[in-house]
Amino acid sequence: MGFLRALHRARPLIRSNLSTSRVACRWISSTPDRHNPEAAAAAAPAPTPEVRPRTPVGGARIECPNPEDAIEVFVDGYPVKIPKGMTVLQACEVAGVDIPRFCYHSRLSIAGNCRMCLVEVEKSPKPVASCAMPALPGMKIKTNTPVAKKAREGVMEFLLMNHPLDCPICDQGGECDLQDQSMAFGSDRGRFTEMKRSVVDKNLGPLVKTVMTRCIQCTRCVRFASEVAGVQDLGMLGRGSGEEIGTYVEKLMTSELSGNVIDICPVGALTSKPFAFKARNWELKGTESIDVTDAVGSNIRIDSRGPEVMRILPRLNEEINEEWISDKTRFFYDGLKRQRLNDPMIRDHDGRFKPVTWRDALAIVAEVAHQVKPDEIVGIAGQLSDAESMIALKDFLNRMGSNNVLCEGNGSSPQADLRFSFLLNSNIAGLENADLFLIVGSQPRVEAPMVNARIRKTVRATQAKVAYIGPPTDFNYDHEHIGTGPKTLLDIAEGRHPFCSLILSAKNPAIIVGAGLFERKDKDAIAAAIETIVKFGRVNRPDWNGLNVLLLNAAQAAALDLGLVSGPECIRSAKFVYLMGADDVNLDDLPKDAFVLYQGHHGDKGVYRANVIFPSAAFSEKEGTYENTEGCAQWTVPAVPTVGESRDDWKIIRALSEVAGVRLPYDSLKAVRARIGTVAPNLLNVEEREAPTISGELKPEFQQNLSMAPFGVAVDNFYMTDSITRASKIMSQCSSQLSKK
Amino acid sequence: MASVVRGVLKAIKEKGIVNFAKDLKEEGYLQTKIHNIGATLIGVDKFGNKYYQRLDDTQYGRHRWVEYAQKSRYNASQVPPEWHGWLHFITDHTGDELLMLKPKRYGVEHKENFSGEGDEYIYHSKGHALNPGQRDWTRYQPWLSTKTSS
Repeated sequence: MGFLRALHRARPLIRSNLSTSRVACRWISSTPDRHNPEAAAAAAPAPTPEVRPRTPVGGARIECPNPEDAIEVFVDGYPVKIPKGMTVLQACEVAGVDIPRFCYHSRLSIAGNCRMCLVEVEKSPKPVASCAMPALPGMKIKTNTPVAKKAREGVMEFLLMNHPLDCPICDQGGECDLQDQSMAFGSDRGRFTEMKRSVVDKNLGPLVKTVMTRCIQCTRCVRFASEVAGVQDLGMLGRGSGEEIGTYVEKLMTSELSGNVIDICPVGALTSKPFAFKARNWELKGTESIDVTDAVGSNIRIDSRGPEVMRILPRLNEEINEEWISDKTRFFYDGLKRQRLNDPMIRDHDGRFKPVTWRDALAIVAEVAHQVKPDEIVGIAGQLSDAESMIALKDFLNRMGSNNVLCEGNGSSPQADLRFSFLLNSNIAGLENADLFLIVGSQPRVEAPMVNARIRKTVRATQAKVAYIGPPTDFNYDHEHIGTGPKTLLDIAEGRHPFCSLILSAKNPAIIVGAGLFERKDKDAIAAAIETIVKFGRVNRPDWNGLNVLLLNAAQAAALDLGLVSGPECIRSAKFVYLMGADDVNLDDLPKDAFVLYQGHHGDKGVYRANVIFPSAAFSEKEGTYENTEGCAQWTVPAVPTVGESRDDWKIIRALSEVAGVRLPYDSLKAVRARIGTVAPNLLNVEEREAPTISGELKPEFQQNLSMAPFGVAVDNFYMTDSITRASKIMSQCSSQLSKK
Repeated sequence: MASVVRGVLKAIKEKGIVNFAKDLKEEGYLQTKIHNIGATLIGVDKFGNKYYQRLDDTQYGRHRWVEYAQKSRYNASQVPPEWHGWLHFITDHTGDELLMLKPKRYGVEHKENFSGEGDEYIYHSKGHALNPGQRDWTRYQPWLSTKTSS
């Protein structure tokens, strides 16, 4: 009896001896019970079902439109209710279990070729790839069993077999899915002793660097290019170990969304070329901000190191940019470091600029401003102006007695009274509900790539039809080019065009009008014609507002909300011009003796006519409110310090007003925003879209003749549209190599 | 022995007795010179360090040594890499023979370790605040008004 007790006591010791000897003979796995999963599973006690509710991965929420479609599955014994049609992987995410994956991406189609997401399903003979397996009612999914763990470990070993060991020199190091998941799910050693395969690098252009040996063939980039970006440039060649990603012929990737393949690549095969070997991701400080290069206001994260912006990444916003950003947004950041104005400067008699102190510069400008008649003062806000500086400029000029304040790109006497006449009324996410698009005089692919991606998504998902009026341009989805000028518009308005039957049969027709038409003389007549189509096609209903204006610049919507509504014709008689970052305004009509003050952050077109330069902060260096084309106000946050002597725009104007003797009543950002609140309270509701409330019936009638000149192109070079992008070296490389000529 | 005495007399004749005593003090009162008696001079490197070897009557492992050129301030890092191997019994090739192996394109001149000799001798990496090349912290390129159209 005593002997038996002694044996019982010694059993743990015996067992441990046994297991170590097994490790010695099968040395690959760190955990011995994975070698014999069946036996280990049988030996383990039956898992008691946990009923503790767990939070879904990433705070995901699911909605079941009708409860009878919901099915119940068990993930590790925990029951979850999910809608029918969800995959096993999604069910696991709802249950709070993060399944490792490489090829699965929630916004792309399912490939199921990386096999990393294998889980065990009860009554299934083999582990199943959870990303491709639809969840069935009553399915019992096990993600933590020895079978699942061993499957992942095996897949990881295969993936690492041909993956180079160059993490120390890889730009993805630190944010690499393969690195993270091999730490979490991989084995601690490999059995591979042969030579690794190598693949020739492909040239994808100036933005995407390829190290194709690192590729694990997840095909995310191929699916992204063909599904989201809409270019058939990338593909898979070969079979087995000869399989490689590439362009079939030597060809660059000419998409305006190509930078996103850097983000979706789970390894370091596709990395950013301008960012190559510049920094490590753990050295960078992320600042959540807003993009200002177009009117969409994509949400971005500015990664900076010290006083330098190192890179720009997208930030998730389902309403605006989902998780993509355009190449211009992603790669224009080196423009923030070049051609910067860092001192106040005054032009000498010999035409050279000389740096002076702020005190002198302000005094000279204030003196000149008082020498001219009040109505000869003109203020022009640039493309990149924030709402704070525009309200300060308007208040300053109003106090000087002038009301000639305008924002470039808005044309003469813009329709600012009714907000719906200049906004994207069925907001960007709402475009997915449309089933017919009429694009008038706009090239969304270059004017707003994120809006274009949304239209493409809709066209792909619902086979929505797209009709286009304007000069020939390239679309990356099926469209019908029905005309080039206002004549087609008139035909549709009068019911003569075959398109009329389409718009009548459409449930949710959307009309997208380009802001390039604002510059036309007959813009009110065009607006009236579109208004007729809206009435005729029932585009504007209480439940659907399909009349959309696609703006071009980040400042436009806020400028119209704040009432910067003069026309550019007032510069003909101007004697004092306040250019607040305005570079694209035509100054040919300006009298020769006019005094020009340029306040901006880049030495661009505007400075060459200037008499005095005030340096100001760029969007990455200041807090500002920007309203995007759908009327959603968003804030930028300073990521890096200002440059040299430059100051925030509104602070410069506030200082100038005091020197000029017309002191503006605000000293802090809070006070400026309070002032904005009295003019346009919607600009204070940050990150929330305020829909226009007044309907179109109140619109006054216009009598104007429609000119028959065809519509023009608003943006002729996608990569260089404003002062920052024109200063950027990467953007000039892009426009020389990638722009279609 | 006789040669040493002859050398001493010659030196006193040249420098005078005071300077000779000073030199003698700096050189550690002939300790190395006495040690060198009977040894063969194997070579002299470009800094003037003399390398001696004595095979007979010496404990194995102590049969090679260096007489530093600087008697007052010497340290082991003054030995250039080509002589290091010979001195530490890594190889029997002398430094003069090994000098041929020095890479032409990227081989840099040997520099002794200047630790504790003042900040100006200390190596600072490219991004270091004390690197003399690193005085400009501006990370942007200012606009320069070169073109002057009115």
